[in-house]
Amino acid sequence: MRTLLIGASLCLIAATGTARAQIAIVGEWTGRYHEDQGDRVPGDVQGDFTGVPINDAARKYAEAFDVTRVAMLEHQCQPYNVAHIYRGPNQFRIWEEKDPGTQEIVAYKIFNGTYMQYRTIWMDGRAHPPDYVPHTHMGFSTGEWHGDILTVKTTHIKKEFYRRSGLPSSDLTTLVEHWIRHGNVLSHVSMITDPVYLTEPYVTSEEFVLMERGNQNWLYNCEYVMEVPMDKDDVPMYLPGQNPFVEDFAKKFGLPFEAVFGGAPTTSPDYLPTMERLMKR
Amino acid sequence: MRMRWPLIATTAAVLTTLAGVAAAHHSFTATYFEDRQMEIEGKLLQFMFRNPHSFVHIEAPDENGTMQRWAVEWGGAGQLSGQGVTNQTLRVGDVVSITGNPGRDPADHRLRMQYLRRPADGFEWGRNPGETFN
Repeated sequence: MRTLLIGASLCLIAATGTARAQIAIVGEWTGRYHEDQGDRVPGDVQGDFTGVPINDAARKYAEAFDVTRVAMLEHQCQPYNVAHIYRGPNQFRIWEEKDPGTQEIVAYKIFNGTYMQYRTIWMDGRAHPPDYVPHTHMGFSTGEWHGDILTVKTTHIKKEFYRRSGLPSSDLTTLVEHWIRHGNVLSHVSMITDPVYLTEPYVTSEEFVLMERGNQNWLYNCEYVMEVPMDKDDVPMYLPGQNPFVEDFAKKFGLPFEAVFGGAPTTSPDYLPTMERLMKR
Repeated sequence: MRMRWPLIATTAAVLTTLAGVAAAHHSFTATYFEDRQMEIEGKLLQFMFRNPHSFVHIEAPDENGTMQRWAVEWGGAGQLSGQGVTNQTLRVGDVVSITGNPGRDPADHRLRMQYLRRPADGFEWGRNPGETFN
């Protein structure tokens, strides 16, 4: 009898016989800002360079950066790029594009509400285009599943910023993301490599929660106006050594500027003894 | 900039259905001295009701008595719509009194709106619950 039952079960399994379906990530998602809330939402004083493995080129850029640059006509409606968009306030919608004949997923489509940007993650194994194809804010993405983790690689990303403090990202940035759904929470881990401005990969993470009732506000109408009267050709910036605000964050929290501006070594626990010596100085 | 009222009215009709996206495209703390306040009173020159942030331009004297064009940053149109502010709320020529956080560069003559009052009819914004923006 037992043998018969086991045999029947095996037959049933064979009859249904398909691979386990992929976890679904479709839906409308909104950010949960428990992690890095101060940086991701309101922003803080100028000079927060902590946690980013910046090099000297990035430091020079950040020192010259004037936050009021966003008031320029050319920058008022500038979107965040794909490496940055998930760090700020954002709701997004994910849906599937399926091959009509095979019903296999050809791509995931994402609409990011902030700056109303569309993004495609190709799942059909296609190659990335050559290096000098035009870059976009959302870049060119391909993805593959590893178990229930969607790993996405993105290239051809326009240059923009890692932080509103003026840490720049280059157009040679490569982004690898891992999307992990557990219940109604979608974890998003990014690893950013940038040979121009970073000494090693920059890792960030965020959580998003499924909006069961959907989002009511998907529009982001941005209009260029003369926000603050200025000459058309005026670009707010600081010459070397003349930025009066670059140390504001360090001073506000009583941190050595060397630690705030230090890049990759400062992100390791091994840096703590150095930090203690600097704090005593 | 000459205001095209029919276009702005249409835009406002769309935006009133929106809850307002907090885009936070720049840090207020980095742009303004949030621990300081100053008050200006003068004639409204321009009211730009839009995203990401609305702006009000006021002609008012600076601390030296020299007339300046002040740029006062306000909430996004979607966010303000939820608080009863529309593109018709303020008109060119209105005399208004504004209290705000000054910009970090005094040469910009800019404020972040904290409180607005129009003495002619007593209209005010910024003292009632929910009258805030980000």
